[in-house]
Amino acid sequence: MKRLQREALILSLIENLLKNESWCGETHIQKSAYFLQELLHVPLGFEFILYKYGPFSFDLSDELVSMQADDIILLKLRPPYGPSVQPGTMAERLKNLYPKTLKRYEKEIVFVARELGGNGVGDLESIATALYVVRHKIKGKDDLQKRANCIREIKPHISLEQALTALQRQKEISDKASALLGV
Amino acid sequence: MGKHLHEIRDPVHVFIRLDTDEREVLDSRPLQRLRNIHQLGLTYLLYPGATHRRFEHSLGVMELATRIFDVITDMYNICPDVQHILPPEDQRKYWRRVLRMAALCHDLGHLPFSHSADHKLFPDGWSHERMTAEIIRSKEMERVWSEITPPLRGEDIAKIAIGPRERQKVGLGQFNLWETILSEIIVGDTFGADRMDYLLRDSLHAGVAYGKFDHYRLVDTLRILPKGGSAEDSKEPTLGLLEGGIQSAEALLWARYFMYSQVYCHPVRRIYDIHLGDFLEKKMGKNKIPTKSDDFLALDDNKVLVWIRESVSNQKDQLNELAKRIFDRMHFKRVYGRNPEDQRINPQAADTIYKAACKKFGKDSIRYDAYKQKGGSQLFPVQLKDDTIQQSIELSATLEKVPIVFTEYVFIEDKHLNAAKAWLGKKHSEILKSRKETEE
Repeated sequence: MKRLQREALILSLIENLLKNESWCGETHIQKSAYFLQELLHVPLGFEFILYKYGPFSFDLSDELVSMQADDIILLKLRPPYGPSVQPGTMAERLKNLYPKTLKRYEKEIVFVARELGGNGVGDLESIATALYVVRHKIKGKDDLQKRANCIREIKPHISLEQALTALQRQKEISDKASALLGV
Repeated sequence: MGKHLHEIRDPVHVFIRLDTDEREVLDSRPLQRLRNIHQLGLTYLLYPGATHRRFEHSLGVMELATRIFDVITDMYNICPDVQHILPPEDQRKYWRRVLRMAALCHDLGHLPFSHSADHKLFPDGWSHERMTAEIIRSKEMERVWSEITPPLRGEDIAKIAIGPRERQKVGLGQFNLWETILSEIIVGDTFGADRMDYLLRDSLHAGVAYGKFDHYRLVDTLRILPKGGSAEDSKEPTLGLLEGGIQSAEALLWARYFMYSQVYCHPVRRIYDIHLGDFLEKKMGKNKIPTKSDDFLALDDNKVLVWIRESVSNQKDQLNELAKRIFDRMHFKRVYGRNPEDQRINPQAADTIYKAACKKFGKDSIRYDAYKQKGGSQLFPVQLKDDTIQQSIELSATLEKVPIVFTEYVFIEDKHLNAAKAWLGKKHSEILKSRKETEE
C-alpha cells in the first residue's frame, strides 16, 4: 500500500473514532489501528511491538507526525487530557485521491471505531494487550487465568480484575470481527 | 596505589569521570574507532567548526545519562505509583553501570562520516543499530564486559543502547518497564541523553546558538511518572518532569526544531551527504559495507578520505567525478524546496518535480532528498506542586506550536542550474497538476 493511500485509511479511522465520541489521542489511534490490522486484516503494513500502553507501532507514530506536517491532521487541545487528533485542512483533498480504497475497507474501519471509540486510554491499553497476549503469547486453549497473569507480567500496573475484563472484551470483539469477515 | 577515577576534559560537560574498569571499555578498539568518525559528517564543509567526533559525543551521552539515572532513582524523587518498576536497591548499581556502558557504546555501529544511508550501504537486513548490537555482543567486547566488577551482560547493554524501536530487527528480547525507562534515558524521543548531548555539542562546534537550553535544570526536574493522573488514563510509567522544569523542556524542544531546520537540514549539508553516499555505494560495489567486525572496525573517515583523494587525483578513476563533487566542492545545487503552497496543489509536489526534472535533464544530474521528523513528542506527564499529574501541552503555551520538521529538496548538477530554473519557472504549475494517483 502506498504511503498516502495508507494515510487516507488512518484519516478515515480518526474520523470514525471521533464520530463514536472517542477522545482520539495518539494512543486511541494506535490501539484501534492495531485491531484494524491484526484482527480485521486491513493491510496497513505497520510493525507493532509491546511498548507504550500495549501494542505500539513506531512507524504509525512517525506516520502521524508526517500527516500533521502535511496538514492532514491537527492536534486540538481538550483539557483535562492530552490533545485530540482532528482532520486538518488537507483531509478532504487526501480522501478525494483514494475513494476506492476507502470504500473497500469502510466496514472494517466503522466496526473498529464503533467497538473501541468509547474507551479511554487505560481500557484500550488492557484490551489491546489482551489481544497481543492471545495472538502472540498464550495461543490455543483459552486459559483465562494464565492469560490474565501474562498481561499482569507485561503491565504490572493493570490489576487482575482489569486483565480478566480486558480478555473478556477482547473475545467479544474478536467474535464479532469473525462474524463480520465471515470466517 | 593507582588512581581509580579518571577525568576527561569536555567542552560541554567540563569533566567526565570514569573508573578504571570503564576506561578499559573506552580504550577498546570499537570505542577508539569513534575518534575517527565525524559526528556531523561533512557538515564541516559549510560550518568549519563542526569537526567534532562521535567519541566525545559518546562520552557526553554517558555523562548525561548517568546524571538522569541518579536523579530519577533518588529515593526522594520516586513517585509511589511507579515504585514497582524499580529493581531492588542491590541491583541498581548493576543497572547504573549497564546504562553508562550502553550510553558509551550506543553509536559503535555508525558508518564513516556518520552516514545515514544504511539501506543503501549495508547488506540487506543490516543497519547501524544492528551493527552496534553485534559489536557490543562480539567476543572482543564480551571479554571486556566479563572483566568488569560485577561482570555485565552484553545483551543487557545492547538492549539499553538500541531501545525498543529497532528491537525486532536487531534480534533483541522483549523489554520490561524498567528496561524501557533505561533505554528512554538514552534514546528517548523527548528527554533522551543522546539528543540532549548532540544538540548542545553540535551547536557549540557549529558555532550556532540555537541548540542551547538549560540542561542542568531540565535533568534535575526529570522524574519517572505515570502517563496520566485521571482514572481513565494509563498508569504506565514514562519519563516526565516536575512543573518547574517545563520552561527548560520548552527550550529543548525549540532547540531541536532550530537545529534541524538551520543545521541538520541545511541543503548544502544534505547534498554533501548524498554525494558521499553515491561515492561509498559505488566504491563498495556489490559487497557493500563489511559486517564482519574486524573489517567494519577498520573502516573510518580517514580511510574514506584517502579513497576520495586517490579518486580525485586520478582522472581515469571511475569514481573521479563523484569524488570531485566532494573534494573540489562541486556539489549539486538546490533547484526546488518543499513549500506549503505547492503541497496544497499536489501532496507529493517535490517528488513530482523530481521525476519531471529527471525526464528533462537526465537522472544522473538530479538528486532528491527528504527528511521527515520521527517521533519527538511534545507530550509528557508533568507533576504539579500538589502532586497531581497533567499533560505538558496543557501547561505550556508554546509546546504545541513547535513546528514539525519536514524538508524536501530537488538538486541539480551546476551546469543545468540556470536552464532548470527557467524551465521550472515556466512549467511549475503544469508539472504539479500533471500527477494522477492510482489506487492499485
